[in-house]
Amino acid sequence: MSALTDSMNTIHSLEEMAEAKTIIHRLHPMVKLVTTFLYIILVVSFDPYNVTGLVVFLFYPVILMALAEIPYKPLLKRLLVALPFSFFAGISNIYFNQNAAFMVGNTPITYGVISFFSIMIKTVFTVMGVLILIATTPLPQISYQLLVIKVPKIIVEQIMLTYRYISVLLEQVSNMYTAYILRAPDAKGIKMKDMGIFVGQLLLKSFDRAENIYFAMKCRGYDGHYLYAKPDPMKKSDWIFMLSTCGMLILLRFFNLSQFIGSFLQ
Amino acid sequence: MHMADALLSPAVGGIMLAASAGAIAYSAYKCKDDLDEKKIPLMGVMGAVIFAGQMINFTIPGTGSSGHIGGGILLAALLGPFPAFLVISTVLLIQALFFADGGLLALGANIWNMGFYACLLVYPLIFKPIVKKGFTPRRIAVAAILSVTIALLGGAFSVVIETLASGITELPFTAFLGLMMPIHLAIGIVEGIVTAGVLVFVYKMRPEILESSLINKKISSGLSLKKVSVTLLIFAALLGGGFSLFASSNPDGLEWAMNGVAGTTQIIATGGVHENAADVQKTTAVLPGYGFKSTDGQGSAAGKSVAGLLGGGLTLLLAGGTGYIIYAVKRKKEKSA
Repeated sequence: MSALTDSMNTIHSLEEMAEAKTIIHRLHPMVKLVTTFLYIILVVSFDPYNVTGLVVFLFYPVILMALAEIPYKPLLKRLLVALPFSFFAGISNIYFNQNAAFMVGNTPITYGVISFFSIMIKTVFTVMGVLILIATTPLPQISYQLLVIKVPKIIVEQIMLTYRYISVLLEQVSNMYTAYILRAPDAKGIKMKDMGIFVGQLLLKSFDRAENIYFAMKCRGYDGHYLYAKPDPMKKSDWIFMLSTCGMLILLRFFNLSQFIGSFLQ
Repeated sequence: MHMADALLSPAVGGIMLAASAGAIAYSAYKCKDDLDEKKIPLMGVMGAVIFAGQMINFTIPGTGSSGHIGGGILLAALLGPFPAFLVISTVLLIQALFFADGGLLALGANIWNMGFYACLLVYPLIFKPIVKKGFTPRRIAVAAILSVTIALLGGAFSVVIETLASGITELPFTAFLGLMMPIHLAIGIVEGIVTAGVLVFVYKMRPEILESSLINKKISSGLSLKKVSVTLLIFAALLGGGFSLFASSNPDGLEWAMNGVAGTTQIIATGGVHENAADVQKTTAVLPGYGFKSTDGQGSAAGKSVAGLLGGGLTLLLAGGTGYIIYAVKRKKEKSA
């Protein structure tokens, strides 16, 4: 099923991208977590009618993607998936706020249009921020940083285990789905009346699989503790990068670079 | 129903992150009590199952459209409410990171909307009472359809509240509600029917799975430190984040008294040290006047709430740090005595 294979390919390609060795990849994962989070908060904190200050924040994803040598096409594809809901939220703004803000030639630009663009741009920036994070930091590294900020160990274990078994389950579901479709050639999906048995079978097989996994873990010494590695400490270069990037982002938030550059054109 | 970051303000996102973090901490605490180590790999596999299961599109007869299962109630019925909540949170985190299905700032809101209502509210309050008298296919079906629908409606309602509280959309409350609720009612009924089908099948093949997750060990009574601190955290977040929006602009007691005495609410200090200190404060103050420095001189509500949240967080850290220092000093004294 195309959605299943697409998901498998997405996860695999992001995993591969995260294994590269550029300067961004070699940064400590906590640095990337903190800067991504700060970036998202700052982007989202712009009020709906401040688009000029907002566009300056394009520097962060563009520079990082260049430094980390992340191919832009798969990222853009992921971006397209995330846009529709924001699109409809923004369109409703155009409809409900038709007060004109300023004129471009003879066409009035309404506040609704401005906030529409604000929403779309914010969506693009925040999605790119997260995708850059996951394309430069393998999920296990992120999970260990969650431990550092005192996220309960049991949920970090769940993240690692779920991540570990996603590809296994995706393949199993794909097999089951193919078997179903081969026996129902005209069907465009699983019929609703068959979903109970389909998902039920998947669940029962998964319960058995989980039991086997548990026995395998026990045979290898599992005693309730799943996480053992310790993350590397942060180096001086990591601190320098984090503080300077965060400082620059905060500066960009409160100093309108677009107006500054625009003032030179006058 | 995954919310994107762009639809939230930092204040609302922060509040929901705090709320979900509290719920996760509480669930982790409950899981430690009555979870045996065998359930840990089971939860991991179930997370992967739900993740893969959400990719299965089923056709809805008569409409030509397709749907997919959510999983909150399904997981809660199979694993129990607290493990299920942790599993759903895990799935949502992975979806947010790898598929941009919901943002990171919005993760708290998504976990709340799609996990909290289903696992921690609807399952114990609606699903369990219906099946407590005994599992029969009819009871399971009624419980499933009712629970999924109500949980979904609760989540949809929260989406409306969170989006409007963020001030991003101009959609009026009634229009937004009128759009979201009927759609999610329909989705809920369909998903409820599918969930019912799955649970009935599982019950027929292996009844012990459903029955064992109903049984709960007796919880030890007495207030736990974690419960208290989690509750305090949530209140601090709410107070700092939410209620600061309603902060009064009237002068507080001190300013009012000063006004009466000196005719001004601020004393201008002159002299080298004062001016240097003032300069340092002007440059380092991230949120002067409890608002973001903005170029048009008006404070923003978002800045106030962020100030509230950050202030609350800093205060917590300072308080915790002070307590820890006192505790450490006392320990040292005891050791040397």
